[in-house]
Amino acid sequence: MEHLGEKLAALLAIAWLLPLLGFTIEVFGGYWGARNCKKAAYIAIGCIAAGFVCSSTALYLWGSETGWVALESASHGGHDEHSSATDDAHTAGDHGGHDHAATVVEHHHKQTVFSGCFYRLAKFGSLNLSLDWYIDSLTLTMFVMVTLIATCIHIFAVGYMHEELTDDYVDHQVHTHDGCHFHRPGRFYRFFSYLSLFCFAMLGLVLAGNIFQVFIFWELVGICSYLLIGFYVERHSASTAANKAFIVNRVGDFGFIIGLMILWTSFGTFSFADQHAADGKVQPGLFSMVRGSDGKLEATDGIVVLKTQQDEHGHWQVPPDSSQRKTIAYTLLIVAGLGVFCGCVGKSAQFPLQTWLPDAMEGPTPVSALVHSATMVAAGVYLAGRFYPMFTPEVLLTIAYIGCITAFVAATIAIVATDIKKVLAYSTISQLGYMMLALGVGGWGAGLFHLITHAFFKSLMFLCSGSVIAGCHHEQEMPKMGGLLRKMPITALTMLIGVVAIAGLAIPGTSIALSGYHSKDAILATALAYTKLNSVHFLLFLIPLLTAGITAFYMFRLWFYTFLGKPRDQHLHEHVHESPLVMTVPLLVLSVFAAGCAIGGEEGVLFRMLTHSQPGHVAQGFNGLAAQTVSLPSHDAIHKVHSTAGSAALLAAFCGMTIAYLVYGLGLVNPEEIKKQARAVHAFLANKWGFDDLYDTLFVKPAHVVAKFAAAFDKLVFDEILHTVVRFAVVISKWDRKFDEGVIDGFVNLVGNSTYSLGIGLRGVQTGRIRQYVTFIAVSVVTLFVLLFAFYPKG
Amino acid sequence: MNDIGSLVVRLLDETTKTSVGLFAPELVLSGTIVLMLAFRVLPGLNRIPTQWVALLGAFGSFALALCQFDRLVTGEIPPTSFFTGMLMFDQLGTFFRMFLSLFLILTITLTVLTGIPDRDDAADFYTLLIGSTIGMMIMASANHLLMMFMGVEMTSVPSYAMVGFLKGRKKSSEAALKYVVYGAGAAGVMLYGISLLAGLTGTGSMPDMAQRLGMIVSQNAGIGDATVRTILLAGLMVLVGLAFKLSIFPFHFWCPDAFEGAAAEVAGFLSVASKAGAFALLVRFGLSFTSTSAAVSEVGFSFGIGLGVLAAATATFGNLSAYGQTNIKRMLAYSTIAHAGYMLMAVSALLVLAHGKQVGLDTQGEARRCIEGLIYYLFVYLFMNLGAFAIVSLIRNQIFSEEIEDYNGLATQCPVLCFGMLLCVFSLVGLPPMGGFWAKLVIFSAVFKATAVHWVMWGVLGAGAINTVFSLFYYIRILKAMYIKSRPAGARSVRYDLFPGGVFVLLICLPILGLGILPQGFTDKFHNIADALLTQIGR
Repeated sequence: MEHLGEKLAALLAIAWLLPLLGFTIEVFGGYWGARNCKKAAYIAIGCIAAGFVCSSTALYLWGSETGWVALESASHGGHDEHSSATDDAHTAGDHGGHDHAATVVEHHHKQTVFSGCFYRLAKFGSLNLSLDWYIDSLTLTMFVMVTLIATCIHIFAVGYMHEELTDDYVDHQVHTHDGCHFHRPGRFYRFFSYLSLFCFAMLGLVLAGNIFQVFIFWELVGICSYLLIGFYVERHSASTAANKAFIVNRVGDFGFIIGLMILWTSFGTFSFADQHAADGKVQPGLFSMVRGSDGKLEATDGIVVLKTQQDEHGHWQVPPDSSQRKTIAYTLLIVAGLGVFCGCVGKSAQFPLQTWLPDAMEGPTPVSALVHSATMVAAGVYLAGRFYPMFTPEVLLTIAYIGCITAFVAATIAIVATDIKKVLAYSTISQLGYMMLALGVGGWGAGLFHLITHAFFKSLMFLCSGSVIAGCHHEQEMPKMGGLLRKMPITALTMLIGVVAIAGLAIPGTSIALSGYHSKDAILATALAYTKLNSVHFLLFLIPLLTAGITAFYMFRLWFYTFLGKPRDQHLHEHVHESPLVMTVPLLVLSVFAAGCAIGGEEGVLFRMLTHSQPGHVAQGFNGLAAQTVSLPSHDAIHKVHSTAGSAALLAAFCGMTIAYLVYGLGLVNPEEIKKQARAVHAFLANKWGFDDLYDTLFVKPAHVVAKFAAAFDKLVFDEILHTVVRFAVVISKWDRKFDEGVIDGFVNLVGNSTYSLGIGLRGVQTGRIRQYVTFIAVSVVTLFVLLFAFYPKG
Repeated sequence: MNDIGSLVVRLLDETTKTSVGLFAPELVLSGTIVLMLAFRVLPGLNRIPTQWVALLGAFGSFALALCQFDRLVTGEIPPTSFFTGMLMFDQLGTFFRMFLSLFLILTITLTVLTGIPDRDDAADFYTLLIGSTIGMMIMASANHLLMMFMGVEMTSVPSYAMVGFLKGRKKSSEAALKYVVYGAGAAGVMLYGISLLAGLTGTGSMPDMAQRLGMIVSQNAGIGDATVRTILLAGLMVLVGLAFKLSIFPFHFWCPDAFEGAAAEVAGFLSVASKAGAFALLVRFGLSFTSTSAAVSEVGFSFGIGLGVLAAATATFGNLSAYGQTNIKRMLAYSTIAHAGYMLMAVSALLVLAHGKQVGLDTQGEARRCIEGLIYYLFVYLFMNLGAFAIVSLIRNQIFSEEIEDYNGLATQCPVLCFGMLLCVFSLVGLPPMGGFWAKLVIFSAVFKATAVHWVMWGVLGAGAINTVFSLFYYIRILKAMYIKSRPAGARSVRYDLFPGGVFVLLICLPILGLGILPQGFTDKFHNIADALLTQIGR
C-alpha cells in the first residue's frame, strides 16, 4: 500500500511540475520565437493535458487499488456514531477510511490516504519546512478537475488570444497623449507562460501536505492572479484592478499569517498528516493532535489538551503524564481557525473582502474562467475544507454567516449589473458564499460538491461569455447585445446549459437535473437541518433560499438579455459571428461536464468520491448543548429534510426563472420602469452596496492623507536634514580636495618627480668612458674598505 | 721517492675512481666542444648542424647532473670533495650544475629559433657558450680559492667574446672591450685578495680557512689587530671579484653597456647563468668564515651587513636608473642589477644570521630559509628573465628594433608574445600569483628575521619594499606600450606569433605561473638543499 502512495505521489508530482517546465520554456518565448508563433500555446497545452492524463491515471490507480471503496453506499453512516468510538480505522490523518468502514470489515485496513515528503527545504530547531504531499480522494478529484478545466481553457485561449499573435498589437482601450491608440508587440507567449505558472501553483496548493506549503502556493497563485489581471497593463483600469486584488488579498493573508504563527507556537508542526520519521517514530500531525483518533474536540476550562501520544492500538491520546502534555487555549484555537479562514475570505472574495473580484474581470476572459471562477477563488473553499478538523463550532458559525451574507449581497448586485462578465463575477462570489455556508453549517461534502460542479458550469459560462465578447468585438455591455441566439447558436445553447445548471432547475418529482441542482440541493438541505437544530440561526436557511431564487433570476436575465429579443445595436449585430472550432469545442466539452458531472446527486460518483475524504467527526454531527454552542446536524438529520429543502429550492428557482422570462423574455414589464420606480434601491445595488465607497472613505482616503503627510514630512524634515548634512559634506570635501591637491598630491608628485629626476641623474654616472670605469673599481674598493674600517667594532 | 710514488698512485687512484665520475657533466660538455670543433674541421662531417650537437651535449650533461643530484638526495653517494679537494660534490653544487645545463638547453633552443649565430659561426658561438657554462659549473662547485678564480675567469673570457660576437656592430665591439677591461680589473683585485688570504692561512681550501684564521687571530681581536685588517681587506677584494660577476653596485658599470651591445639571447644567458654560479660561490665563500672563533665570525658578520647595504644600494640604483631608459635591453640590464640586489639581500641575511649573535631565534632554521629563498628566486628568475629576453629577441627578429616605443600596440599583432611578456613582467615586479611574488616573499621574510640580529637589516628590508614599488613603474611602461597604445601606421608588423616562438615562450612562462600557484613542492626541495649545505658546514 505504501507503494501505491509513492506511485500516486510520482504521478501527481509530474502533473504538478510539468506546467513549471512549460513556464520556464515559454517565458523565453520572446527570444526563441516570433511574435506570431503559437509554439508557446502548444507547449502549455501539452503540459497541462499531460497533467490531466497523469491525474486521471492516478485517480484510476487509487480507485482500483482500493477496490473503489469510496464509491460504495454510504447508507451505513448511521452506524458511525456507534462505531467511531471503537473502530481504529477512523483516523483523519493516517487512515482515511472512516464512514463506511464499520460494516465492510475487509476495507478497514485499506489505506486510502497517503502522505509523505518530497523535499525538506529547511529545518530550524524543531520546525520543518518541507514540500510534503497529502493525497486523498479530495486531492485526486481536485487534480482531475483543475487539469481538465485548465486544458479546456488553454485550448479556448488559443482562439481567444489570437489577436496577440502580431508584432503590432493595437490596444483600442488605451489612448496615448496624442490621441492615438496604443501600439505594442503582441504578448501571446507571455499569456501562456503566466497560465502555466498559475497551473503549477494551483496544483501545488492542492497537493500540499502542510499548511505552510499551502501558504507558499497560496501566494504564488496570488502573484499569478496579479500578473494575469494586469495583463493589459497599459490600461489604467487593469493595473488598478491588479493592485486592488493584490492588496485586498494581503489583508486576508495577514490573518492567515497570524493563524500560522499560532499553529506553529502551539503545535510545533505545520503538517496535516502524521509524519513517519526514519527511525520509525511517528510525529502527530495537526489533525491528530486536535481531534485524536475519535474526532472529538474536548475542552476543559477553556484549555484543549493535544493528543500527542499513541497508545498500543495506534490511537492518538492525551499523554497520561501531565508534564508531557501540550495544550492550547480554546480561544486561541478559535483565533487560529479564524485567522486561516481570514486568508480564505481574501482568496475566495467573501464578505467583507469581496470587492476585488468584480474588478479582476479586467483580465482576459480565459483568465476569468480559470483563475477567478473555477480554481483560484475556490482555493479558499478548498482550504477551509482541508483544514476542517481544526475549526471549532464557533468558527464554523462565523464561516456560515460570512458565506450567507456574501451569497446574498453578491446575488443582489448581480441583478443590476449590465456588463456580462460582471454578472458572472458577482454570481461567482455568490456561489462561493454558498460553499462557505455549506461548510459552516456542517455540510462538508455539500460544500466541496458545489465547488466542483460550480467550477464546471461557471468556467463554461465564462468561456461562453468570452465567445460572445470575441464575437461582438470586445463589447461587454449586455444592453448593446440581444438576439445573438441565431448568430452564435453553439455559444447560446452551451450557455443555456450553464444557466440551467447554476439556477438549479430540475424536472419536479424526479432527480433528473443538471449538476447545480444536486449540489445546491445538498447545501440547502444541510442548512435546513442546521436551522432545525439551532432555531436562532433560521436566517441561514431562509437567505440562501431567497438567494437561490435571485440566482435563477439574474442568470436567466443574462441569457434572455443576451441571446433573445431583438438586436439592440444593429451595427454591432451585423458583425457578430460564431467563434471558431478551437473555441466552441472546449465549450461543448465543458457543457457535458456541467450537465452531467453530478449525476446521481448524493448517491452519485462525484459526491461519494468527495465525501470519502470527509473528516471523521462530520458524519455524526455535533451536540452543542453541552458545550453552550451551536450544534451541527448529522448525516441522518440532513437526509430526513432533504426532500423538503429540495422542493423549496426548486420552487424558488422556478420563481426566479419565471420572473426573468416575464421581464426579459416576453417583455411584459419594461425593466426601465422598474428602475425608475425603485431608483434608490437600484442606485444602492448598482453602487455595489456602497462597499467600494465605504472602503474608499475608510481606508484608501485616510491612507492617502497619511501618505501625503508622510511625503510632506519626508520632504520638509528628513530631506532638509539630509540636505544640511550633504551641504556640510560638500564644504568639507571642498577643503579636503584643496588639502589633497595641495598637500598630498604635492607630496606624491614631489616624490615621483624627485625619483624620476634622480633616475635620470643616475644615467649620468654611466658615462661610457672605460678609463673612468676602471678608476671606479679602485675608488670603490678603497671607499668600501674605509667604510668597513670605520664601522668595524674596535675590539 | 717512495713517498712521492705512493702520492702519485693515490692521486691517480682518486682521479680515476672518484673525481672523473663526479666531474662527468662537465666532461660531457667538454667532449661536446671537442666534437663540434672536430666536425667543423673534418670534411664530410661539417654538414652536421652544430646546434644539434650542442643541444645533445647539453641534454647529456643535464641528464648526468640529474642522476647525480638524485643519488645525492637519496644518499647513495655521500657529499665529498674531489680532485684533491679542489671541487666539492654536494647538493648545492650539483643542483646548480643541473640548473645551468637546463639553462643551456633553453638558451640553445632559443638561438635555434632566432638563428642568431649563422651557419659559419655556429661552432664558435656554441663553443663559447658551452665553455662559459663549464666555467659557471666550476664556480658552483668550487671548494678552493684557486678554483674560484679559475671558475670566474673561465666564465668571463668566453662571455667577453660572446658580447662582441655581433661582428661589425660598433656598439657590440665597444661593449665587449669595456667588459674585457673591466673584467680584467676586477679579476686583478680578486686575485690580490686571494693571494692575501692564501698567504695568511697557508691554504686555499675554503673549508679549512676558518680554522686557520681562528688560529692566527686572537679570540677578541678588533680592527686594531693588523691581521684582522688584512683579512678584511682580502675578503673585500675577493668579494669585489664576485660583485663584478653579479653586477653589484658600484661594480656594475659594465652591465648596461655589455647588455645593450650584446644580442638579447646572450644578454639573457649572461644575466641568469653567471648569477647562478656566482651566487653559489658567494654563499660558499661567505659560509667559510663560519668558525668557533668570535673574531672570525665577526668578520663574516661584517661582510653580511656590508653586503646588505650594498644590496639595498644596488636594488635602488638599478630600479631608479631603469626609469629613463628607452632601449628595452638596457632597461632589462638595469632590472638585472636590481634583481641582483634583491638576491644579495638573501645572502646578506644568511651571513648576518649565521655569524651574528644568538638572539633566541632558530638561526640555523632561518639561515636555511635564506638559502631556500635565494635558490627559489634564482629558479624563478631563470624563467622570467629568459622569457623576457626571448620575447625581445623574437620581436627584434621581426620589427628590427629594441626601442620600447616601437612596441606600441603590439598586443593586437602578437597576442601570445605579449601575453608572455605580461606574465614575465608581472613576475619580475612580484605580483601574485606569479612565482616572482613567492620568491620576493621568502627573501623578504628572511631579511625580516635578520632584523632581530641587527638593525641595519630594517633599512635593507625597507629598501627592498620600496624598490618593489619603484620597479612597478618602468615595467608597466612595457605593457602600456604593448597593450594600451595603438600601433602607428606604417610600423613593421609582427607576422609570426604562436609559431615557432610563441610556443617556446609559453613553455617558459608556464613554470612562472606554476611556481606561483604551487610553490610548496619546490620550496621543499630547496629546503633540503639548504639543509644539506648547512649540515655539511657544521652548524
